[in-house]
Amino acid sequence: MNGGLLLAALGTSLLAAVVIFLLPERAFRARTGVNLGAAVIKLSLVAWMVWGLRLGHEYAVAFPVLEGLPFVLRADALGIMFAGLSSLLWLFTTVYAIGYLEDSPNRKRFFGFFSLCVASTLGISLAGNLFTFLIFYELLTLSTYPLVVHRGTAKALAAGKVYLRFTLTAGLVLMIGMVALYALAGDIRFGQREILAGLEPEYQPLLVGLFWLLVAGFGVKAALVPLHGWLPRAMVAPAPVSALLHAVAVVKAGAFGIVRLVYDIYGIELSAELGVLHGLVAVAAVTIVFGSLRALAQQELKPRLAYSTVSQVAYIVLGVGLFGPLGTIAALSHLLHQGLMKVTLFFCAGNYAEELGIHRIDELDGAGRRMPLTSLAFTVGALGMIGVPPVVGFLSKWYLGIGAIQAGMPWVIAVLVTSSLLNAAYFLPILGRLWFRPGPDHGVGAWPGERRLGRFETHAWLLVPTMATALFSLMAGMLAGMPFSPLEWATQVTNAEYLR
Amino acid sequence: MSEGLLSLALPAALLWPLLLMLRVPLLAALADRRRPALQIDGLWCSAPLPALGMALVLDEGALALDWWLLGGHWVLEGARGQLLIVTALLWLLAGAYARGYMAGEQARAVAGDRAATSRLTRFALLWPLTLSGNLLLLVAEDIASFYLGFAVMTFAAYGLVVNSATRDAHTGGRAYLVMAVLGEGLILAGLLWGAGSAETTTLGGLREGMLEATGGAWIGLLLWLGFGVKAGVIGLHIWLPLAHPVAPTPASAVLSGAMIKAGLVGWLATLPLGEAGAGEAFVWLGRAMLVAGLAAAIGAALYGVCQRHPKTVLAYSSVSQMGLITALVAMGLVAPALWPALSVAVVLFAAHHGLTKGGLFLGVGIGEHPPRLPAWLLWLLLALPALSLTGALASGLVSKWAVKSVLYEGGYSAVVTWLSLAAVGTTALMARTLWCQWQSERQARTEGLEPLLSPMPLAWLGTLLAALTLPWWLDEALIIHGWPPLTDRLGLLWPLGLGLTASMVAWLVSRHRPLRLAPRLPPGDLWWLLVRAAQWLHARGQVSLARLATAQGRWVAWWVAREHKAMRMLDGMIHVESWLRRHAAVLMMGVAAGLALLMLMSN
Repeated sequence: MNGGLLLAALGTSLLAAVVIFLLPERAFRARTGVNLGAAVIKLSLVAWMVWGLRLGHEYAVAFPVLEGLPFVLRADALGIMFAGLSSLLWLFTTVYAIGYLEDSPNRKRFFGFFSLCVASTLGISLAGNLFTFLIFYELLTLSTYPLVVHRGTAKALAAGKVYLRFTLTAGLVLMIGMVALYALAGDIRFGQREILAGLEPEYQPLLVGLFWLLVAGFGVKAALVPLHGWLPRAMVAPAPVSALLHAVAVVKAGAFGIVRLVYDIYGIELSAELGVLHGLVAVAAVTIVFGSLRALAQQELKPRLAYSTVSQVAYIVLGVGLFGPLGTIAALSHLLHQGLMKVTLFFCAGNYAEELGIHRIDELDGAGRRMPLTSLAFTVGALGMIGVPPVVGFLSKWYLGIGAIQAGMPWVIAVLVTSSLLNAAYFLPILGRLWFRPGPDHGVGAWPGERRLGRFETHAWLLVPTMATALFSLMAGMLAGMPFSPLEWATQVTNAEYLR
Repeated sequence: MSEGLLSLALPAALLWPLLLMLRVPLLAALADRRRPALQIDGLWCSAPLPALGMALVLDEGALALDWWLLGGHWVLEGARGQLLIVTALLWLLAGAYARGYMAGEQARAVAGDRAATSRLTRFALLWPLTLSGNLLLLVAEDIASFYLGFAVMTFAAYGLVVNSATRDAHTGGRAYLVMAVLGEGLILAGLLWGAGSAETTTLGGLREGMLEATGGAWIGLLLWLGFGVKAGVIGLHIWLPLAHPVAPTPASAVLSGAMIKAGLVGWLATLPLGEAGAGEAFVWLGRAMLVAGLAAAIGAALYGVCQRHPKTVLAYSSVSQMGLITALVAMGLVAPALWPALSVAVVLFAAHHGLTKGGLFLGVGIGEHPPRLPAWLLWLLLALPALSLTGALASGLVSKWAVKSVLYEGGYSAVVTWLSLAAVGTTALMARTLWCQWQSERQARTEGLEPLLSPMPLAWLGTLLAALTLPWWLDEALIIHGWPPLTDRLGLLWPLGLGLTASMVAWLVSRHRPLRLAPRLPPGDLWWLLVRAAQWLHARGQVSLARLATAQGRWVAWWVAREHKAMRMLDGMIHVESWLRRHAAVLMMGVAAGLALLMLMSN
């Protein structure tokens, strides 16, 4: 039992948030120092725990809040995987956000809530029971709201309202589900699958009902159709926020909740026995195709990426629904893979908007010549989303496909291929515009709003994180067989899940 | 020994083109702004050299790296090794040719033409990238690497197709990309299904697992069609006559000579060819392939002779020749017993077609920019590969003889007859090509175009030499049937005679009564029908997408309305509350009276 590390990791971001709120608005250097320092410290703490977990150490801390309802933090393999993703991407997003918000107002508020948001994501990943999970889940909702409406425009405020409506209602639904589960079986720590599995058979219809109630609650943040309405609207947020929302924080928290629900509360065997997995696969399949179709119809870059998220996050749910170790590997590894690729794409979208004032897809003509590195990163992310090796997206698709065959659902392959084709249909034209159309740098037309932000193609603080995440998406695919690669980590977690 | 050497040679062969690709932006960054660097130089041309050296020196070997993708596994073995030699050689010669072909572009770039610079940069970057994909797929044994090589080659070659950035190039590029993505989708479906059933990550495991899998023939069908896009199976060939001609000539040569063979390599690697117990479903798949192959062989020839541009005619000839190869591969499913002998003939045929077609495409550029050679010599040299392709001499004669002897021995003389008919078509296509070239050469002479730099004719001559002498230098294991005896040669030559006669007659007829077929039969045939259909579908699709959007909007609006209603109800409660406040005294008394009543009743 070694709980100090857990509290330290969680406390780092919380403390950073408090310090940032206390610092004056103009203390740019101090704030940057606190931001980066906290991100690096947290990443090292999580890395330490990753290493310790490999060596067989356990990290857990618990104290009672009410009689029989404790607050539990525990680092299991699954949780630490998500924590690793969030701390790694937090570092990159922080660097990016510092560059992105240079000289803009209200940076103190922004970075304060930014740190709170990351603290809640870490809390979600390290929560040891549903109660603790929900606390951080709600905290995440509240801390992301100021980020979504950061610009303060009418459009942003309207989007924030929609966001709150969806997520707070979902929180309520989750609360009801949790209380019902508690009434039924008491406090369930994540991993105590035998509790629900040991209930009398006559409780099964109730369990099915509660399952769908909780999935509906998580499904709002995971943007499952038809609960996805808030996500495309939340696009008005600044680029680093969108990146964080789509890659690791909000959407992933929902997907992670579903993963926890199926594997650690109900257990995969009970879920299969209750017959809820088929329903999950169907919902995911519909979401995948729907998201891709809607993405195809978007004419602006960020909404297109947003709908692409709707589609891609459903891959995780699809993998969860495929009974068998391969489906689980697909789900867990895609949790990380999608994060790396999507954060890259949103960084790129932000770079184009900041440097050249580009928001619409048809303004991207010839941008590859003006911003080759950003466009290269975008190409990596887009090819990964389509599923072209050696980018990591291919691995997710591979495991989903063979997982579907082994679960006896070959029709899922048709969904995967359709989604790949649709992904190609909405990403390849963008790549074609970037690289093969003549643009302002070839002497045709002009950029909508060009600014020279730095010595390189854009501000170095914007460029470096973009390149880093693109490189990670590439390396995680090429070196998938190496220890500590996302795929290998997901395989480890899965083995623990099925061999128990 | 060979293992150790391969573990060095293979990465070198695959990475060298990539290093040369990285060198391009590096040179551009280091170069003086006023004097751009020469991007296509001798070193750039050396991209396929390590691969060629490896394939020539090492016979076979394997390399496995567990950390790569899903587990990397590469082999250098028999048939694919031979195709690797031919592929690398053609890429080498075409690269040297490109040095001359792009000389004009380089001059314009140095003079400060920005469009030329970006075209040149793109070509210099994507050529080695496409090459590395092509090489990787020839040595990959694990599915992920194979798919990677295939995808890299496919997507990078798009840039080669659209290099000239003309309207035709964009049409060709679009056709290429649409069909390629469709093919990738089919391949992915087939690979996932097959690999999932067989629980394997290697191509060999996939091939064996397909026999036992339920619905194995469907996996085979998906893979046949998926790779068939690249190989130009009839119906899926429509991009080929649009894309091959518009690319720069050296790129056309490798597209039609080397990359088209990737489809064949895919079939050889994944389909259970020559497996006696494959089952009835696979035999039916083989029959379908056979019919499709023969239809392509003859149909493409008929359509191709009506084309006007020599490169388009050559592209249709590629469809026709790949149709023959499809038919031969199909025999591996229809008559598995023949496959051991037939597979050797197929590889020989593919090697012959690759180099010869490469030589023919490079010859088109030579015809447009004739070097200082006597006219008779030039036309003799241009005609030689054409004759070889019809099967009249050199590598064509040997490969045709090999195919025919195997089929005769197996008792499939009907197939042989069809193949001979296809050869008549090939002869007509070749005659048409030379005629078109003659026209454009006359035009070139009257316009007085500058003859291009020496790399072009030299590379062309090298390709001709390599193609014609193929039987003497290729691995002897592939030339099992040797040269046909003199008595049989007449039997092999009749399609040539018939084809020539038919061409002469057609030429004479069209001189007196012009048929004007060409304008009515555009290159790309079915593509234009598809474009119409797609436009129609697009219009419908827009409507349904708009409907999806409104449905989504309505869904959100419905919830918002519900919420408003709930809020109104809450507001209503507030009214009730204020009413209660106002009448608090009455209420209190009422409650007290009620309580008193209750107490009375309980007593």
